[in-house]
Amino acid sequence: MADTPVSEMNFETAMAELEKVVGQLESSQVALEDSIKLYDRGAELKKHCEKKLAEAEEKIAQITLSAGQPDGLKPFEG
Amino acid sequence: MTTAFLTHADCLQHINPAGHPEQVARLEYILDRMSASEFDGLMRLDAPMGTDDQILTTHPLAHLNAIKAAVPVSGWTQIDGDTSVSPLSLMAAYRGVGANVKAVDLVMSGEATNAFCATRPPGHHAETQTAMGFCYFGNVVIGARHALDQHGLDRVAIVDFDVHHGNGTQDLVWNDDRILFVSSHQMPLYPGTGAANETGAHGNVLNVPLDPHANGIDLRNAFEREIIPALEAHKPQMIFISAGFDAHQADPLANLNFTEADFAWATKALCDFADKHCEGRVVSTLEGGYDLEALAASVAAHVTVLMEQT
Repeated sequence: MADTPVSEMNFETAMAELEKVVGQLESSQVALEDSIKLYDRGAELKKHCEKKLAEAEEKIAQITLSAGQPDGLKPFEG
Repeated sequence: MTTAFLTHADCLQHINPAGHPEQVARLEYILDRMSASEFDGLMRLDAPMGTDDQILTTHPLAHLNAIKAAVPVSGWTQIDGDTSVSPLSLMAAYRGVGANVKAVDLVMSGEATNAFCATRPPGHHAETQTAMGFCYFGNVVIGARHALDQHGLDRVAIVDFDVHHGNGTQDLVWNDDRILFVSSHQMPLYPGTGAANETGAHGNVLNVPLDPHANGIDLRNAFEREIIPALEAHKPQMIFISAGFDAHQADPLANLNFTEADFAWATKALCDFADKHCEGRVVSTLEGGYDLEALAASVAAHVTVLMEQT
């Protein structure tokens, strides 16, 4: 498992590691004792990716509004 | 009639490296808890040594020889990332095999209604030719084959509620339509197998993967919607339980949120099925469970239900 804190990862890095984690969990190549740590890492990566996606979505919504094209995405109200 | 409780001091001599979760203290905690007066009614027996012939009903000679050859004079032989062999591990493993076979004999003869085998190492990850996941031999499958081949039963079922998929049991019974194997387990998690589309060569495997953080309600749903109907369809004459307690909410090796009461509920559901369809015959065997307090409490809850059925 990588040592980089998940919170410091960009989306692409987190997604790449998440795909690797899922592959490992499905491959029977992980020791029983390590399996739970790997799952927890995957869950953390998934949460981080979802957060990054939500942030990107928010930015798109703001850009769309500022460009005078209010159709489609609603403005972020958080 | 009574509940038989089989264990042996040799099972305390199988030692994993320091810090390993499958530790001697697991069985010590269980035995301490089972020494309480509420368990005075148990028929307590020393597990006999299993035999090579019993193991060879289920594993090829090459596998048995490989495990024998791995026994070190001192220290450990590492088989994989988390499976190792200590000098007295093989003795403990033979007790696990012998406990299952003896439990079947006791239940089939009517000396006991049901039985619990408190042995280690566990067995449900041991594949036909591969020791893995702390396991060397498929104890429960060996017991099931003994019931079929030596006692003349036609059909049995193995129900595995350990939090990890019983890949070894699945591998060992894949082509044996006399044995229904049913497993509920967290997915994703070690060993990565156990998807619902893995159904055995004859439809004799049912996997019920549970999402991480599933709880007792999910367990009840799995039993009522899938596991009990599968048992009813197979019509087993004896129920074997691979009783792992690592789906407990306190367990450090998984994320499920079962409690002692949930394990008791599942045990009761299986015993009730056995009462209706299998003359009450149940043989249960310890698999995983790594939080020492939760393990001991869960075994106590499980055995209490077994005793209440007698």
